[in-house]
Amino acid sequence: MKGKKEIIVSTVVVAGVLLTLFFYLMSTGEIEFNQIVLVGIALILVGLAMYIIWDKIRNVQKGLPEKDERTISMSHKAGYYGFIAAIWSAVFSPVIIDIIFGYELNGGDVTAIVVLVSAFVFVVSYLYLYWKGK
Amino acid sequence: MRTHIKELRARYNLTQEDLAKKVGVRRETILFIEKGDYNPSLQLAHAIAKALQTTIDELFIFDEEEHLRP
Repeated sequence: MKGKKEIIVSTVVVAGVLLTLFFYLMSTGEIEFNQIVLVGIALILVGLAMYIIWDKIRNVQKGLPEKDERTISMSHKAGYYGFIAAIWSAVFSPVIIDIIFGYELNGGDVTAIVVLVSAFVFVVSYLYLYWKGK
Repeated sequence: MRTHIKELRARYNLTQEDLAKKVGVRRETILFIEKGDYNPSLQLAHAIAKALQTTIDELFIFDEEEHLRP
């Protein structure tokens, strides 16, 4: 029952993110390249999250647990990698963007980059560990 | 680490999914333990050994050299 609740909550969150992105795109008149990149990354993340949710639903339907000791350990490892990525991206993204594009990021941009990079690293490392088995 | 899970599963005519249901884990976890890609907790190893009517010692073959490697 707890697993089913988590699946429902995750599905609602994914739907919420998709709706937010939809309204964001609708309210933005002219879409710039960096906005397309950020929305693209967010959509990739949503797609990967949907895959993880679908996998959980498949297991529950078969009468298997939606998570076990291996997936919990994977989440912890992926969370650790996401945390490290958040720290490094917060420190280096303003410097790297300034060197490459000559553009000074404001606080909001850095926050967006940190959130996206850490989420991306979390999801990618989760899926890597999922397929590798460790 | 190698295991005898596959052979014992075949002996008791159990699929990976059947064994996973018996011990309360996902099917992929059984798959990765069989392949030696995942080291289960002592609790899970005990549950698998019990489900296959054997002991942990007989089920898992530890490669000592592998464990000594840093």
